[in-house]
Amino acid sequence: MASSSSSPAVTERRGIPGASFVHDVQTYLTESGLDVNSALAFLQERLQQYKLVEMKLLAQQRDLQAKIPDIEKCLDVVATLEAKKGTGEPLIADFEVSEGIYSRARIEDTDSVCLWLGANVMLEYSCEEATALLQKNLENAKASLEVLVTDLQFLRDQVTITQVTIARVYNWDVHQRRIRQAAAAAQDS
Amino acid sequence: MQQSGGSETEVTWEDQQNINKFGRLNNRFHELEDEIKMAKETNENLEDASNELILTDEEMVRFQIGEVFAHVPKEEVEERIEQMKEVTSKKLEKLEEEKDSVVAQMAELKKILYGKFKDSINLEED
Repeated sequence: MASSSSSPAVTERRGIPGASFVHDVQTYLTESGLDVNSALAFLQERLQQYKLVEMKLLAQQRDLQAKIPDIEKCLDVVATLEAKKGTGEPLIADFEVSEGIYSRARIEDTDSVCLWLGANVMLEYSCEEATALLQKNLENAKASLEVLVTDLQFLRDQVTITQVTIARVYNWDVHQRRIRQAAAAAQDS
Repeated sequence: MQQSGGSETEVTWEDQQNINKFGRLNNRFHELEDEIKMAKETNENLEDASNELILTDEEMVRFQIGEVFAHVPKEEVEERIEQMKEVTSKKLEKLEEEKDSVVAQMAELKKILYGKFKDSINLEED
């Protein structure tokens, strides 16, 4: 995401406040009317807020990343059933009944499958409908993941900008103290 | 970011963007390393599976599809595993390529940023 070199004006994105870039520390402090410690405190607080949002987004990302292979597995099973349809042979499968205990199932030719929709609801679909539904869910999940990744990138940029600003304000303060010390020493001598 | 002893190097918006980009690339680099590790593991598993297949003399192999183990004839399983190996190899190749590109971009940015900020900036892993 290469933004132009002109004024950085992304004020927020989907509820995440943008960190405004400080061109000059002196101007920033004068304009905001804050002294150095208050400015640093404000920026640190912003940083903590960003970290919280980051944790939330990371958790959502993990969920989605687990969901996608799940949906792909379901699509695989439905495809296998459909492939077996013409042959007239039943599909024999071993499935887990409980941990370490498996049982054998004989699945005859079938036109419909049942899909877990969540919330203790299971619905019967024809193979084609099931494939279409699963496909749509997969695409939605992938699209959501993309948006999430972009959000995270934006967030991380704001975190970096805030961290750099904190460092610069701190350095500016150290520099000012040095100048004052030097001026005081010059006066005394 | 290291806090130096009050240097006066100005940080421009362009510098900030470079720093942001470096941060993003670094994150992507670590993600890629994890993904590459997983892809390599999957490849190894598929290799082991196809070796086992050669050794077995059963006609029907229990092949995992979704959450169940379907009874599938040996040739079909061999085909499927070959296919899966190809898909994983291609994915691994793409990931390695992306990783190389990311590493190159990061090296470029390091040159630029160290050039301007020298000791005031630290871009190494802790």
